[in-house]
Formats: sequence, C-alpha cells, structure tokens
Amino acid sequence: MNMNPYLPEMATIVETIQETHNIKTFRVVLNNEERMKNFTFRPGQVGQLSVFGVGESTFVINSSPTRMEYLQFSVMRVGEVTSKLHQLQPGDHIGVRAPLGNSFPIEALQGKNIVFIGGGIGMAPLRTLFVYMLDNRTSYKNITLLYGARSPADLTYKAELPEWISRKDVQTVLTIDNPAEGWEHQVGLIPNVLLDIAPKPKDTFAITCGPPIMIKFTLQALKKLGFEDENIITTLEKRMKCGVGICGRCNIGTKYVCLDGPVFTYAQLKELPSEL
Amino acid sequence: MSPLDDLKTAIKSRLGELDCVIGWEQGYDQLHATPLFIRSEADLDRLVIGPLAVHNLATYLPGLRGKKVGIIVKGCDSRSVIQLLNENLITRDDLVVFGLCCSGVVSHRKIRAALPVDPGFVEAVDLSTDTLSITASGQTTILHMADIAADKCQICQYPNALIADVLVGSPQESKVLTTLACQEEFEAKSEAEKFAFWQETMSRCIRCYACRNACPMCVCRDFCISTSRDPLWLGQENTPGENMMFQLIHVSHLTGRCTECGECERACPVDIPLLLLRRYMNKQVQDVFEHRAGTALEQTPPLLTFKVEEEGIKERGW
Amino acid sequence: MKYITKKNLLRLTEELSSVYRVLAPVAQGGTVTFRRFHPGMTLDMHSRMAAVSAKMATLPQTESLLLVQRVEENKKPELTETLPQGKTLVMGARPCDARGKLLLDPVFITEKIRDQHFIHRRENSIFITLACDQPETTCFCHSVGSGPADTAGSDILLTLVGEGYVAQAISDQGQEIVTHSFFEDAQDRGQQAQAKHGHALELMGQAHDYSSAPAKILERFDDMDFWEVQSAKCISCGACTYMCPTCYCFNITDNDLGLTSQRIRTWDNCMSHTFTLEASGHNPRPTKAHRLKNRVGHKFSYYPDLYGGIMACCGCGRCIKQCPTGVDIRQIVNAAQEYAQ
Repeated sequence: MNMNPYLPEMATIVETIQETHNIKTFRVVLNNEERMKNFTFRPGQVGQLSVFGVGESTFVINSSPTRMEYLQFSVMRVGEVTSKLHQLQPGDHIGVRAPLGNSFPIEALQGKNIVFIGGGIGMAPLRTLFVYMLDNRTSYKNITLLYGARSPADLTYKAELPEWISRKDVQTVLTIDNPAEGWEHQVGLIPNVLLDIAPKPKDTFAITCGPPIMIKFTLQALKKLGFEDENIITTLEKRMKCGVGICGRCNIGTKYVCLDGPVFTYAQLKELPSEL
Repeated sequence: MSPLDDLKTAIKSRLGELDCVIGWEQGYDQLHATPLFIRSEADLDRLVIGPLAVHNLATYLPGLRGKKVGIIVKGCDSRSVIQLLNENLITRDDLVVFGLCCSGVVSHRKIRAALPVDPGFVEAVDLSTDTLSITASGQTTILHMADIAADKCQICQYPNALIADVLVGSPQESKVLTTLACQEEFEAKSEAEKFAFWQETMSRCIRCYACRNACPMCVCRDFCISTSRDPLWLGQENTPGENMMFQLIHVSHLTGRCTECGECERACPVDIPLLLLRRYMNKQVQDVFEHRAGTALEQTPPLLTFKVEEEGIKERGW
Repeated sequence: MKYITKKNLLRLTEELSSVYRVLAPVAQGGTVTFRRFHPGMTLDMHSRMAAVSAKMATLPQTESLLLVQRVEENKKPELTETLPQGKTLVMGARPCDARGKLLLDPVFITEKIRDQHFIHRRENSIFITLACDQPETTCFCHSVGSGPADTAGSDILLTLVGEGYVAQAISDQGQEIVTHSFFEDAQDRGQQAQAKHGHALELMGQAHDYSSAPAKILERFDDMDFWEVQSAKCISCGACTYMCPTCYCFNITDNDLGLTSQRIRTWDNCMSHTFTLEASGHNPRPTKAHRLKNRVGHKFSYYPDLYGGIMACCGCGRCIKQCPTGVDIRQIVNAAQEYAQ
C-alpha cells in the first residue's frame, strides 16, 4: 500500500445501476491490475471516492470480499461530490482510497444467528456482510434480513431482492411505510415489523443501519426483544475528510468514526459521549 | 449616583422579565473588558462600563432571537440595534435597551503602540476622565484618552444611544471632526500603492473570519458564501487574492448596512485595517443615497429597495 | 553554552536563509507574525509574542496534497503526489511554539498512518527558540508541563543576556549551528541565563493542576446548560484555532482549474458550523456551545485520554489574548473541574 495516506488510486467505473431516483450504485475496478488482484478488505470497511476537481466522499464498500470482480459503492445524491458522481458513466475515472476504518466482527459472528435490519440507503453497509454470509453460509446459523424503505421505489438492490427472497436458507422480509399497489410484502415501519417477526435474542446478533430516527426506534425494539447491547451492531456516518483519524471532525469523544469505526456495538456506543 | 449605579438599578428592575442582560466585565487583565451575560443580581456586581468596554454587544442579538434579552449599548452600538430592527433580524418586543451616553472607548492597538513596553504583563490600570495610567512590566505610563481613543470615537456623531428604553449618563456632544486623517491618507494613494498595500496586508490574513463573526450585521454566519462549495465563490487556499476577495464580498454585503462600529477591525487578530474598506463604502452610500445605516428606525437600506429614478445616480443626461 | 550578539544573530539568520526557508517574527502594521525572512530584513524577536504561532512551519495553512492533470476532457487523469520540498528554520519561536509542534506528532505519525507531508516538514525543520523573559497575563505554559525556558521541541534555546543571546544547543542540528564562528563562549553569561529562566517561571505564579480535567469535562458532556453559559460570549469564529500552536484540524478541498485540479489541505476550524455539517443537513455539533465543548474537550479531555495524560495545549494564551470577545479557555476548564452539582 502506498505510504501517502491521501493519495488515491485511479479506478475505472465499469458499471452503474440507478437504484432509486437518488441512489446510484457504482461498480469500480482499480486501474492497477496487480493491486486489484491483491486488494483485500473486510465487510464494513469504507472507501473515499474522489471526483477530481470536486472532492472526496466516504462510502461503504458494499460488495463482498468473496466477490472481487469489482468494488461496489452505492451513492445517494445529496451534496457536491455525490451530485458529480451521479453524472459519471462507465469508463469514467475516479480516485479510490480504500479500505479504511474497522469492519464487522465476522469471526465473533460465526456460529450465531444473524438478524439484519436495514432502512433505505442503510442497506448498503449491510449488503456487504449479508452477501459475505451467503457466500459462507455454513458458518452462520439462521439469517434474517428485514429491509425497509419508504416506498417500493425507494428500495435499493432491486435486482437482487428476488434471489434473496427465494432463497430457502435465509428469511427475507421487506417492508414499506405505506400501502402501495402491487406490493406483496409487509407494510409498516421497520421497528414495528421487527417486533412482529420477534427474532429470539439467544445466540443472535442484530446488525442495523439506517436513518437516525429508524435506528433510535429499532434499538428500542431490540431492547424490548431482549437483545444484549453487545449483540447489537450498527455502523455510523459522519462528515469525513482525511479518512485516517487525523483531520478532527468525525470524532465522538476519543473515537474517530473513520478510523475506530464505522462499526460499533450498541454497548460501545453507550460508552461514548452522546454526539451522533 | 454614578451612571454605573443608575444602570445597575435599571437592570435590576428589569432582570426578572429577561433571560439575560448583556454587558461587560473585566477580562483577563485590568486593561481588557469582556462581554458579560447577566443572569442574576450576583452577576450584576461584575458589570463595568467605560472606555475599556469596547465590544459591540449587538452582535449577539440575532443569535438570541426568540429570547427576551436586555442589552447595554453605546451610541455606536445602538445604530447596530436599529439596523437589525430595520432589517427585521431582531424583535423589538423581545428587547430591552439600556443606552449609554458614551465619551469614547480606547483602541487597544493604539495603547500597544503608545506604550514603551508590550502590555502583555499588565500589573495595574488606573482610569481617570482624560487619562489612562498603565503599569506593565514595572513601568508606569500615563496615556491621554484623546491619543488612544478608537478612530470611530474621534469622529463620533452619535455618542448617545439612539434607541433606549433607559438612558443613563449625561448626554455627550458629537465630534466636530468628521473625517479621519488615516482614511484620507489611504485614499490619496495611487491605485498601484493601494494594490501593493492590500497585497502585503492580506498576506497576513489567516481567514479566521473573526471580522465576519464579530460583525453585528453579518447574519448569514453559518451559511456564509465563504464556505459554500456550490456555488463556489472562494477557494480555501490562503492567498492574498482569495483573502481580499472575501473582504470585498463582506464589504459589498454590508453596503448601506454597515454601522461602522469597527468590530471587524477590532476583532482581527492580525490587525488588518479593515475599516479602510468599510469607511470608503459608507462614504459612497452617503454620497449617493444620503443614507447612514442605523441612524433612524424605519429606514430601508438603499440596496434593499429601489427607486425608478435615484436622485443620486445620474442614469441619463451625462 | 555559547553566546551570540544580536548583530551576529541577524547575520547568522541571513546566512541560514540561503539554505533554509527561514520564518521569523516580523512586526508590521502593529502586529507581529512569522514571515518569510530575507536578507535585509530585521528580526522583531522582542516586541511581543507573534500573533499567530509558528505552526505553519510543520503544518502550513495551505498545502498541496495532489495535482491532477488531464491532457483532454474525458481523458484519464494523471495524479502527481505533491510532497513538500526543502528545509525550514524558525528563528525566534517561543518555547510554546516548539512544544506545540511536538503535540502534533502522535496524531500525524501513528502505527497505522504516517502523514508524509507532515513527516517531511517535521524532519526538515529547525526551531531556534527564544526563552521568555517574563510571562504575559494570558500565559499558562507552566500549567501544561512546559515553561518559559522549556527546551522541548527546540534545536537551540536562546536567552537574552545583555546585547546578545546565550545559546544552548538542544539537538545535534542545533549543536552543528552553534559551531559557527558567530558564536563565542558564553562564559558566566550561562548562569545569568539560568537566573532569568528561574525569574520568569517565578513570575508565572502557582501552576494550575489540570489532571482532573479529562474526567471532569466528560462529566459535563451532556450538560448543555453548562456549555451554553461557557460559550455565551463566543462568536464562533476561528481566531483561536488558527492562532493555536496545537490546533491541527484540517480540511481537504479540490480547486478545479479546468484540465488540472489541485487537492489542497487547509487549516480548518472546529468552531465553524460547516466543520461537521453533513450533506444530509444533519449536524452533530449544531451550535457554538456544542462546538466549544468539542474544542475544549479535544484539548483537555480526548487528547490526554488518547496520549498519556498530556493536554493538547501548550499554554501560550494566544486564544485568550486575541479572542475578539475574551473567551478564556482556562476559566472554562476550571469551571468544569470545579463544577459542583
């Protein structure tokens, strides 16, 4: 790895997928073939994508390390960099600084039941681990995926959802906030649907990501279901610049989300000052 | 009773209905005052007024919108209050104004220049009507107030608060002088000299935005174009050009709104004479629109309105 | 111990400026700042402490990280790493400047991350420091493990004695410089320098004990009433952070210049609203009270918790002295330390 932590590697966009009206998925390959071949990361780690002349932003690598044809990032169009990213096409070049940050504790999760609870774009960091577990299916016990969005149009990874639903070795539950025509799955807010599914907390890890308000009520629901703080895992987002724990803006007390995170257990979060 | 006692009595009688009253207290040494947020009668004991109470406290008002606030103002500060009211940036009903009749404040920069030793280690300060005696590093120096008064005080036309629910002190006379030698000297320079001056001076600027945040009329603050990336007006690069660009934007945004309180210049940690720009712009506004910001309620800043035919602008018949 | 006359120090600085980018205190427009020194200039070592610290020697306000060039629109961009070049010498730093520099090391040079730009500047900079004759009312270096004649981070420590300086070489590089013929033997002036050091420290009075600050500040974390009172007079500008020797937070932005673009690192300011503003509009530190809490917390709680109890403050007092509204970080930390329910 290059010694200069700020130097991006050149990469080429090989494919883009318009997931929703404002979320686009980018499949990216490092230009240096050798580097791409030897590139390793752990589920949950993030990368900084550069649009040169515009800037850099942080996104989770949502492909799985078990499938290394490309690195995948899903980008919601909200700011300067993401707006410019959305204009890029296959063949365009971007910079990548990855992998950064910590990752899901995949070893500790082995042999456990897993409940994924994702809301909106919050499905991105879960996807990497979910696909990783599908590819190492025998290492984990029951796997449940609860994925919700405001409406059917707001669901990402639509191309993969039929396969996930059809698989017998995972339970996939989709939900939307309000009834919609042609919708055959659940209707209701994620925390409520979670209480309905009522996964058993014994030997189970809950892994959740989504908008702050969803997280807040999901944590309450998980506590109601009897989950231990240590067994609830989430990933955080902050404004980041350096991505390597120096520039000083993503800290919560002594912890830097870009370096010590983005993955934290609820128990760890409770130890931190409340500044989310 | 002294004006300070009168003021304390007046504040005491209103404190109950207010979240706080903003005044001054002694700062880190006897030579420096600092803003004081009075929330109890005990806090009131620390209140000071006088030539060391330099800050224009009106700067805090927009940030306290929605709260009932009392504020102590000098004549110049009162113009900022009026301007904020005129621009509907604060609410009169939420405000109790304690006005002062002011005989001027000091310029700490002038004090520094006038002392034989740096006043970093101040041991004692003694204030009389016309003099300021400072003991620093074992040396005592007596300075005349006239020599160390802030520039704005030397040409002050509004020494007494123009808006006040309570006015304390005995009214002061406006100054005879209306222009400053330093301003005239600067404006007499050639364009090339001025360019060289700003090139040099702005290389000192650290873009800390103390000038912006100390300005009572700079109310965009958190949403300032200086940090906007879209549109991108200013890069983050610290160069004299970019730094000056910010100042020019600042001045433009204050056209017809600047009350010339001098907080921008006073706040600058590297002593950039920012008022040279403000005074120049204000002179233009006065010449063209006969407007002086914050001198009367119900004024509209000239650039916040328009007339089909501006008397001061010859659009036809050149 | 060596001795160098004022006149010879100026001549030495002139000579050194052909090898080093020399930064020296220069009085101009009523203030003193570190400026690039060129032969013919004077050294304003004694008028007052420079308004802005010598931090720019190792962390310049603007620094290029990367140059990106394209031959044509839509063509693959070529990246060029822009690492710093050359050597820097700071003449007339104060002990707080030198110590401040050291406090950045554990942040920029870790086991995992080595900031090449910082390391280059750090390894290629020399600090010739002037011991302080007497403290200012805002100085509290002795309360944060330093002092008016602290040698930490300096290559040579100068002490004004008579019409020249006693020069104490601290590092090998400093040792090499004092072998120059401009230096003579200090003789008994060494003792005079020692006496001055003692006197300056005495003038500072009792040091404050900050050891309880990290825990006490965290105790107040959720007490926003406390932080609102402490931050009431703060105007949330960046003067304190930019003048501070130990504030290192930075921004990274791209300057688009058409076919080329430059990625720059610039000083950033945790007191600014945009510092933590997320693209979604959410801001974890939405008010000046939140931001001042982080600034004070970083210096007197998070940093010491991470790095062995050392405060991220060198006690220079610039943030107090030059704050437009006189916010006094000592008072804020004291208030947290002495807080009684």
